[in-house]
Amino acid sequence: MNEFSGWMFDLYDDPARGVAVWWITDDGRRLCTGHAFPVRFFAAGGAARLAELAHWLNRLPDPPACRLEEQRDLFLPQPLTVLAVEADSPTAQAQLFKQTERAFPDLTYYDADVATPLRYTARFGAFPLARCRVQLGAEDEIERLEVLDERWDLQPQPAPLRVLELEPDCNPASGTPRALLAHCGRHTCRFDLRQARATLINLRGLLVQEDPDVILSEYGDTWLLPELLRMAEEQGMALPLSRDLRRKAAHKKELTYFSYGQIVYRGQQTLLFGRWHLDRRNAMLWDDYALEGALETARITCLPVQTAARTSPGTGISSMQIVTALQNGILVPWHKQQAERPKTALDLLHRDLGGLVYQPRVGVHGPVGAVDFISMYPSVMVKANISPEVPLPNGLEPASDQPGLIPQTLAPLLEKRVALKRKIAALPKWHPRRKRFEALASAHKWLLVTCFGYLGYKNARFGRIESHEAVTAGGREAVLRAKEAAEDLGFEVLHIFVDGLWVQKPGCSTPADFSPILDEILQRTGLPAALDGVYRWVVFLPSCQDARVPVGNRYFGVFQDGSLKVRGIEARRRDTPPWIKAVQMEIVQHLAGAQSPAELPDFLPGALSIVRRALAALSAGRVPLADLLLAQRLTREVKDYTTPSPAARAAAQLEAMGKHIRPGQRVRFVWTRGLPGVHAWDLPTPPDPAEVDCVRYRTMLLRAASTVLQPLGIQRETLYQYCCGAVEQNLWQIPKRLNPQLQMSYLI
Amino acid sequence: MGRTLPSITQEFYEEEAALSRFRRALRRSDQLALDELLVAARQHLAAAAYASNLLPMETFLLAMLLEEHKEVQRLRTEVERLQKQDE
Repeated sequence: MNEFSGWMFDLYDDPARGVAVWWITDDGRRLCTGHAFPVRFFAAGGAARLAELAHWLNRLPDPPACRLEEQRDLFLPQPLTVLAVEADSPTAQAQLFKQTERAFPDLTYYDADVATPLRYTARFGAFPLARCRVQLGAEDEIERLEVLDERWDLQPQPAPLRVLELEPDCNPASGTPRALLAHCGRHTCRFDLRQARATLINLRGLLVQEDPDVILSEYGDTWLLPELLRMAEEQGMALPLSRDLRRKAAHKKELTYFSYGQIVYRGQQTLLFGRWHLDRRNAMLWDDYALEGALETARITCLPVQTAARTSPGTGISSMQIVTALQNGILVPWHKQQAERPKTALDLLHRDLGGLVYQPRVGVHGPVGAVDFISMYPSVMVKANISPEVPLPNGLEPASDQPGLIPQTLAPLLEKRVALKRKIAALPKWHPRRKRFEALASAHKWLLVTCFGYLGYKNARFGRIESHEAVTAGGREAVLRAKEAAEDLGFEVLHIFVDGLWVQKPGCSTPADFSPILDEILQRTGLPAALDGVYRWVVFLPSCQDARVPVGNRYFGVFQDGSLKVRGIEARRRDTPPWIKAVQMEIVQHLAGAQSPAELPDFLPGALSIVRRALAALSAGRVPLADLLLAQRLTREVKDYTTPSPAARAAAQLEAMGKHIRPGQRVRFVWTRGLPGVHAWDLPTPPDPAEVDCVRYRTMLLRAASTVLQPLGIQRETLYQYCCGAVEQNLWQIPKRLNPQLQMSYLI
Repeated sequence: MGRTLPSITQEFYEEEAALSRFRRALRRSDQLALDELLVAARQHLAAAAYASNLLPMETFLLAMLLEEHKEVQRLRTEVERLQKQDE
């Protein structure tokens, strides 16, 4: 009898054995085991049709077991009579369901397309990287499986992963890579891609000798791995990228789709078996949380690591809901049938609202306390027990004590996040564990944020629009109670933004001064709030169009520990060139020296000289071209533009060179003088520095600078005049209004 | 996205547009005063959204009145202060 303990590493369908499960054992072996795994799906409909289906199934060459059962559909109050059909393995189930659905398209199906790893977690409790004790039978098949830890453990024992990093020497979209760099442990090898055979033999040697668990690549999905596999086929060699030698790498096609008002591009994917392939460039939110976050997402969502790293948080959260449903014996609908119920116009008017966004008091304020609810919407869902099957709450008061599916899914995740946040707050900034915890917290954040959206998403399996609306209603109730709490304690509320409040009271300047608000909010709402920090000063900016009109999310300020917070200004926008971002942030950083609003004017001369220095560098050609790059997203195919945007013009230049850009992909370019006005960065020849449109960049810089200087009384016109050298005298003597003709010359 | 109703800001713009003929016929100095009233209404968009009145213009008018009243209060305090100084 063979028994071991270790980490569950990978899991996928195996037609012969049910599922194949890979393990990293405590003694360092990488083991592939089989596990018999019969799975069921359900069909619902009229009694006669179900009888016909049972009859039809019995006449199949290899008839599956089937019987009538009572099961629970989340959206129905009464149990539902369904025909349960059991297949020997997930592979067989998929085929059987396809046949059944074709023969009986009129029936309603449940549990039909649930991913195998999710079924496995629901049945055995094992999730990616779970610590398990396993007992094997004679043919390496699992006989007994005991899970030793939980998805919610704060510090699970980390698996000893061996990582091989692979990257081409340049971006394959902009040039032809010549070499392949491989980093493994402390070694780095460089293979010449022009010598295919030598590269493949060496790479194969590396794979066999080091036997990495993870291949971490750059452009691996879109170019590198497909290219290596192509080379191997051409040379007639086997390249064991997958550890499971019976399986070839799987490819998923590239995709352009529309989500949240944006065209999004997702490159093709190359997935391995028994080994993970993760592409830094094609992973979701990699910049936010890296490998640690991807592993945490996999643990929590129960999706395999390769999938978890590439899918959106939406898929993650719906996977968690499916696991909760399966564990509670709730049917998982195949295609959701639920439509929105008819409502009166007045009902809609009162319900279909978003979060509360105030118009802030425009200007400079300080000291100001920023109070945030911790994960407001998920907390509201849990506190008010908001779930599709539960009656709607009254504000924040739940209608039922029996926790619904959504609160059940969210509560442990929310608890874990709050515990993690507490741990982070207790650790000093330099602490090595801090970064890891922050990556985990960031992974949780995205899952929690999406959960709210998925309640309102028509195609989400457990979504219901009324629940979604109840969440925002709960949020509005909570933030208004918080406002009342702050005002009752004598604070002035400067601004409210969905789940955050900015409050001020003479004499309150330390975190302790603001803690009574937090206690009061917790008492009045039952939701936890935290002090984001105390600002030395914060500036709420008006609208770009009308200086009298405040806008909700345009502000910048400096906390007492010197850290900056900047929202909605040029430095935060993705389509601002790095040079402009850097100069704007340099100005804010300089202003951050002011300990209070009263000291701000002392920092004005320094700020102005930053602008002048930057402009001098621009006109002297000392700004590197790479810092003048803009990246804009293509919203459609280049040929479909009637008036091409700058990005489309740059994409057309690339297309002329034979490089196709898909909608949703970003195009990088530099503004140039004359026509076509842009120069695509990924063209083989770099733009001539003399062609750069300096006037345009100067205008952009002055606009960005005036955004942050305007609260100090510097109008944009004054700044143009001062920085462009028209006035050398004392700044304070500049007339408030400029001669219009003079102004024109700067604006052109 | 997914909205069944215009947002309060959209409602505001619609009401503003509905006033365009009225505004056009006003004298320039009156136009500027009207613009200030509209800016005053915009200060309270959040409250107007929360109120979700079927006729949002009612709320906007009240918001204008509110800002006007604040101004009256401020001026009254100022006058009283000046009167006290004179005494």
